[in-house]
Order: sequence, then C-alpha cells, then structure tokens
Amino acid sequence: MVIIKNIIHVTFLYFRNLFSKRTKELKSVVHSAPGWKLFGKVPPRENLQKTSKIIQQEYEARTGRACKPPPQSSRRKNFEFEPLSTTALILEDRPSNLPAKSVEEALRHRQEYDEMVAEAKKREIKEAHKRKKIMKERFKQEENIANAMVIWINEILPNWEVMRSTRRVRELWWQGLPPSVRGKVWSLAVGNELNITPELYEIFLSRAKERCKSLSETSSENDTEGVSIADREASLELIKLDISRTFPSLYIFQKGGPYHDVLHSILGAYTCYRPDVGYVQGMSFIAAVLILNLEEADAFIAFANLLNKPCQLAFFRVDHSMMLKYFATFEVFFEENLSKLFLHFKSYSLTPDIYLIDWIFTLYSKSLPLDLACRVWDVFCRDGEEFLFRTGLGILRLYEDILLQMDFIHIAQFLTKLPEDITSEKLFSCIAAIQMQNSTKKWPQVFASVMKDIKEGDKNNSPTLKS
Amino acid sequence: MGNGTEEDYNFVFKVVLIGESGVGKTNLLSRFTRNEFSHDSRTTIGVEFSTRTVMLGTAAVKAQIWDTAGLERYRAITSAYYRGAVGALLVFDLTKHHTYAVVERWLKELYDHAEATIVVMLVGNKSDLTQAREVPSDEARMFAENNGLLFLETSALDSTNVELAFETVLKEIFAKVSKQRQNSTRTNAITLGSAQAGQEPGPGEKRACCISL
Repeated sequence: MVIIKNIIHVTFLYFRNLFSKRTKELKSVVHSAPGWKLFGKVPPRENLQKTSKIIQQEYEARTGRACKPPPQSSRRKNFEFEPLSTTALILEDRPSNLPAKSVEEALRHRQEYDEMVAEAKKREIKEAHKRKKIMKERFKQEENIANAMVIWINEILPNWEVMRSTRRVRELWWQGLPPSVRGKVWSLAVGNELNITPELYEIFLSRAKERCKSLSETSSENDTEGVSIADREASLELIKLDISRTFPSLYIFQKGGPYHDVLHSILGAYTCYRPDVGYVQGMSFIAAVLILNLEEADAFIAFANLLNKPCQLAFFRVDHSMMLKYFATFEVFFEENLSKLFLHFKSYSLTPDIYLIDWIFTLYSKSLPLDLACRVWDVFCRDGEEFLFRTGLGILRLYEDILLQMDFIHIAQFLTKLPEDITSEKLFSCIAAIQMQNSTKKWPQVFASVMKDIKEGDKNNSPTLKS
Repeated sequence: MGNGTEEDYNFVFKVVLIGESGVGKTNLLSRFTRNEFSHDSRTTIGVEFSTRTVMLGTAAVKAQIWDTAGLERYRAITSAYYRGAVGALLVFDLTKHHTYAVVERWLKELYDHAEATIVVMLVGNKSDLTQAREVPSDEARMFAENNGLLFLETSALDSTNVELAFETVLKEIFAKVSKQRQNSTRTNAITLGSAQAGQEPGPGEKRACCISL
C-alpha cells in the first residue's frame, strides 16, 4: 500500500513539475512583451533591468558614493540597501513620450531616495542590535544551563534524597532541567515503585515480539482464544498505526526513523506487562518523550511507573468517574483563579473535558512545543499531578483576554490547537501566578472533598461527561 | 480563522466525524475546511474542532464539525460529544475491511447518544488506493441503503467527493430543518433543534445545531 501511495505521489509530483514548467514558459513569454505602450507608438524596451542598474550606477557616481556593484549572487541580500527597482522608478527619467522631470522634481526624488536608504540603514542597525541582544541572551541562557548542569551533577544528584526537596533545588528545578540531566532527574523523581529491572523489560519485550510473530503466523488458526486474539491484534495494529502519527514532524519515530523500533518495543512490552491497561492512544506520545531523554530500558521503567500514578491510571483506564473527579477539582481552582473566564466558559457549557483530555493524556507533549512540554514535565516530576492541572490553568490565564472574546466553537478550536509561538517565559510566569490553594485547602484536600461529595450523591459535575 | 464575531450565518449545524482510528477522519476535515491534506497527521486524542460556512441557496450554513478520536476505549468519553449533533459522517477505510466490519457498532453508538433524526452518511475513504480496496462499493452502498444512510466514497488525498460529502449532509439537514420550521409555525413543535440537553447556547448565541437568526 505504501508503494502505491508513493507511486501516486511521484506521478503527482511529475505532473506538477510539468505544469510548473509550462507556467514558467508562459511567464517568460509575457515578460518579453513590449514595454511602455500606453500612449502612441513607442519602440519596445529591451533591457529594462539593465537600464535601471546603469541609472543607479550613474547616480552613485554623481553623488560620489560609489559603492561596489554587488555580485550577482548576493543581490538578494542587499535588496534592502540597493533596491534596484525602486531606484529605477525614482531616478529614471520618464518615458520619452511624457514630459521630462523638472530639476526640482528630480532633486526631490533624489532626496527622498536618500532618506529611504538612510531609513533602511537605520533599521538594519537596529535589527543588528536586536540580534546581538538575542544572541547575548542565548549565551547567558546557555551559560545558566551549563552552570546548572554542574550543580545538578556535582551537588544534587549525588545527594538526591537529601537535597531533592530543599528550597534551592526546587527553585533550580523550576527554571528547567538541563537537557543532559533531564532524563536522570525524571527517572529519580518518578521512581520505581514497581521494581522493574532492565531484565524484566527484556522478558516482556521478547514476549511481545513472540506474540507479534505468532499472531502474524497463525492469525486465523487459533480459534480457542478467538476474541482476545482479535483484540490483541487490534491493539498491536493500533500501536503500529499510532507510532507513525507520533511527533510526525520530527521524522524519528516514523518507519525507517532511528527510534521507530524503540517506540514499538516499549509500547509492545507495556501491553504485555499491563494487559489490564493495554495500549491507549496518547501513550505513544509519552513513551516518545521519554525515549528522547532516556535509554530504552530506563525509558520503559519510567513509562510504566509514570502510568501507574493515580491520575494517569485513571485516565489511561478511561475510568470515567475518576476523570470527572479530576475535572471537578480542576474547576474548583479554575473558578478561584480565573473567575471571569470560568463564568464565560460556563455560559457556553464548555466543560473542561473538551480541552483537558488531550492535555492530560499526552502530558502536554502533543499540544505544546516539545521543549516547553519538557519543561512542564520537569515540574510535573517535582510537584506531581496537580502541576498538570496548574499548567492547564496557566494556559487559560495566558490567553484569558482572547478567550473572553470568543464563543464556544472558537474557544474549543483554540484550546485544542494552541498557538505555536507560545513561549516558556510567558507560560511559566502565568503558571506561577496560579494559586493552587483554595482558601485553606490545597489540591489533595480539594480532590478528597470532591471524592466525598460525589460519593454522597451530588453528581452534578461536568454534564457533558455524564452518560 | 477569526474569533467569533466576524462571520455572518443563518444556521449552525453540529456535525460529528466518527469511525475507527486511522480511517482518515482528520484529513477529511482538513480537506473540507482548509483544503489541506497531511500524510503525517497526528493521532487525535479526545476531540478536535473545525468550522466552515457554506451557502445553501440563500442561506449561510455554518458547519461546526467535531472530529472525534477513533479509539474504542475512548468511546465512553467521546459518545458524550454526539449530543446535539444533527449530522454525522461515519467513516471507514475502504482498504481495511475491519474498519467497515464495525460500522454497525458505531451506528448503534451514535443512535444511542444522538437525536433519532440525525442525518448520517456512510463514507468509504481512501478511494484513491484502488489497488488496495477491500470493501466493494456495492456492499457498502447496500448496507447504507438498508440502514437509511447516505453513502459516498471519498479520497481526502485527491479531494474526490470530500466537498460533496459534507455538502450533501448539510443540505439534507437543511431540508429537514426547513420542513420542520414550516411545520413548527403551525404546530409549534421542534424536534431536531431541541437536541441540546445540557448544552444550552449562551444568550443570543447561534451555537450548536439549527437556531435561525
């Protein structure tokens, strides 16, 4: 099938090329049409481009600013400084059938031209300054990362248990983990409650491979387990399907990409390790982010342990009532922090599941730019599940003004496809401004009271999700 | 895309896209609303949204399309999204028989949660892959006929019938609504438009399904 698709693609390209050639030819024909012919008979101009260049050179010679004629190849680069076409328009004499420019007019045009060039130069200098500033900031950032890395490696990691909850480390953690220690810190923070070893991973991996093989060999023969085999096969199919749809723009998890097999292995092994959970869409994104930061076996260990956290377990088991409790808790803090927006959403019956499902299932790795998602993961590893919901509120706060202007469908569209230019500075300052304390209660207490309320029969939360 | 105040429309129809994972729902939608196709689109998790306004005669109809995740396990969540929908495209991949085999289950799911009057079109997608076809046209058409569904084969990749599919569904809804409005002026009964339990539109809003200006 892939081959067929490719053939179609290739033929399509072929035709497109033909077509573009065609249009090019057409264009050149148009170009060679005679020039000014508005009034009466004027001989066609042959070299409009050349003339303007000569004019410019003449002008430069006259004003004594003989700048080197730029080499042909770099003409584009210098476009801002020596706008040939503009020069031509300003400095060129009028077509012979029109009255010539007066001296004053010519002078004025020259002056205007000079001003434009000066303006452009000024702009260029300003931009250079800006670039320099950005570079400086980047250097500073890199220096900070390098410094932080030294602290993490030499001081924090060797004394992990003692230092992890100190104020200094927590603050440093908030700033974002240096990529070189990120995976290590994630692993430590997620922990290994399940006591999975690399050997255990190998066992489940080989089991997954066996199953895959036996399924493809005896797909229709084995009737004893009929349904479950079909289900398992569907799940394996789904993994295959989803792998190519995980961070497609990175081209590393797709077939033939460097991490395609690793992602396949981890997801396959997990369905063998936890058949009760199985494969659920969204997992491929989490596994992919871990693979980008950890070795294969460590990535699996972190993956399995991460999915074993109460919040993740509730979502990946698609435990409806538990998910509702998380949404209800989220709404308590939503109302507390962003009451105006909360009411706005309420007026449209826009429930949090509409945007939170994607955010929570993939831990923001699908909806935020990857580097920013990693920073969210950093603090998620530090603060636990409540940070996922705090991040959600941070996003809402960041876009509060725009969202307040929107109606249901536009809000839903906006939140399920966030702007790509979202920056970590802005988002994190918004997250920082979100208070995760409702009068005297914090997230765990609010969550506990929601649990209690719902148990007691008050089931009026999130009407959309009630089935 | 603007933010809510810009467009002029007379009707809003909520339409859901449903069907197995990987059949091309998201690409059908992007082809219809943005004329785009992506070979490497991302897995849909939960639900995504898109809109497009089309003219049906003199009426501007805004299609509010809910693109749902196809994963079986998600159905518990996504079925809630059918509420208030007046149209549905039930999509299968005509090169993968198993995505067609479960169409009946999807249909049941839909009728369980949506209005009985919902307009449903069965859509066999990926018609460009002629060599790989596993579901014969006649078989699917027959099934559609027997179940009172519209039917079309589409290709989001080469655009075949995509526009037609959505427009046919919208026209059908529009016809139903027009008929109902005629009736309702006499009997004051509205059924298609009352499908918004729990999702009332805001004051003066033209949200979800068919509220006329």
